[in-house]
Amino acid sequence: AIDDDCNQTGQILAAILDWPQGTFVSRLEVEPQAQAVLVEREVDGGLERLRLKLPAVLTADLRLNEPRYATLPNIMKAKKKPLEVQPLEAAGPSPPRLRLLRLEEPGPRAAGAKVASVPELLDSLRQAG
Amino acid sequence: AMAWRAVSRFAARLLLPLPPRRGIASCIDPSTGLTEEQKEFQKVALDFAAKEMAPHMAEWDEKEIFPVEAMRKAAQLGFGGIYVKPDVGGSGLSRLDTSVIFEALSTGCTSTTAYMSIHNMCVWMIDTFGNEEQRHRFCPSLCSMEKFASYCLTEPGSGSDAASLLTSAQRKGDTYVLNGSKAFISGGGDTDVYVVMCRTGGPGPKGISCLVLEKGTPGLSFGKKEKKVGWNSQPTRAVIFEDCVVPVGNRLGAEGQGFSIAMKGLNGGRINIASCSLGAAHACVLLAQEHLTVRKQFGEPLANNQYLQFRLAEMATRLVAARLMVRNAARALQEEREDAAVLCSMAKLFATDECFAICNQALQMHGGYGYLKDYAVQQFVRDIRVHQILEGTNEVMRLIVARNLLQ
Repeated sequence: AIDDDCNQTGQILAAILDWPQGTFVSRLEVEPQAQAVLVEREVDGGLERLRLKLPAVLTADLRLNEPRYATLPNIMKAKKKPLEVQPLEAAGPSPPRLRLLRLEEPGPRAAGAKVASVPELLDSLRQAG
Repeated sequence: AMAWRAVSRFAARLLLPLPPRRGIASCIDPSTGLTEEQKEFQKVALDFAAKEMAPHMAEWDEKEIFPVEAMRKAAQLGFGGIYVKPDVGGSGLSRLDTSVIFEALSTGCTSTTAYMSIHNMCVWMIDTFGNEEQRHRFCPSLCSMEKFASYCLTEPGSGSDAASLLTSAQRKGDTYVLNGSKAFISGGGDTDVYVVMCRTGGPGPKGISCLVLEKGTPGLSFGKKEKKVGWNSQPTRAVIFEDCVVPVGNRLGAEGQGFSIAMKGLNGGRINIASCSLGAAHACVLLAQEHLTVRKQFGEPLANNQYLQFRLAEMATRLVAARLMVRNAARALQEEREDAAVLCSMAKLFATDECFAICNQALQMHGGYGYLKDYAVQQFVRDIRVHQILEGTNEVMRLIVARNLLQ
């Protein structure tokens, strides 16, 4: 959601439903015959293309489209929609979704080696792969 | 060209949820004091103004285009009958909500917004004073702007002295036959529905009734399109009646009630026109602020000049004062308070005068560039100049206030 920028809601929903997810979608093509969607996602390295079987959870990036204007009647209706506040306890316990596999310290730092000259450095780098 | 991008930029700036950016221009923020819901309305209107109106404002003015499609898009959002009841397609909002909306839309194109406010006023008159049959016959297509409306009161011989109008409506069976002409009718010739004040009885206000006519009625014709200094995105024409036959079923309210209907319509109309002036002035203060920071003379930005700083501060102060006058009058009208009509007159007088001065000063601050049509500021000046004249001249506004003080 753009109000809190948590980057979690779509992903959590997909996990709960066990549906495929396409997040940060900037382009969307529906393939009705294949019951699938082709999405282009904005990722750190650029764009990623995925084909997802429907039903799927998608979250929109700002490049996806131009949002519609809210109409005055809809704004007024939104105000009248019931907003139920539920205490956290009412939702019941949620099963843990993470399993701890192992925990370890990073290894101690190995000692380095000093070299006398640049060609020697290049040699040892080549040998080390 | 470049200055028009500035128009879209400031309009876009208006619709950002003004975070506390060190209080930049926060003193003139038009969303202060509004409810969450009103802020939402304002946001939609500012968004629409920035995207659908501001980029075309200059072209509509230069080519004298009546932007039917853009207005219909606005109507889809609910802007066609803002204070008209929902059962006939209106949005059922308050006068204050309406003022906020027109002020916002006016930042995109003042002339078009002013026409929309006239349209809204006409639909309200039918909604309020029409019977159920008339309301359902006319209002839905007007609220959606499938059809457009015009308000016909002024005549060549009666402007300020509106009650002396001469257009006659002679009763013949179950029709009225109209003869006469109206002058300076906004939208005239291009609009579909005409709300016409005409004489069914004796002289003076008590002899005036209100009839609704549709374009295409035999005997209804139009004069030439007037060439105006501003308000060029709406056509202005004379409306001529020659033995024009109108069914009695098109009369709003009772015979003799027409003048009262006209004046009640104008109370709201005055708030709306004043709101349009507010929007234009707000836009111009932002344009001036931008220009002062960008333009350099004598080695410094103009904004370093204390005279100009003080001038800008005065403009901002008067803008906020005018806005408060208008919103106060809107609340009074909504609550049907006794002082509503005179407050509407005061607000119209004060806001239209002050806002014109603000826009004019903004033009002056632009120097020579302010005089070029490439820059938006001159269009705001030209468009709001007429707000001091129509819907009751500012001189008549003074008459109304004086009468309230001295009667």
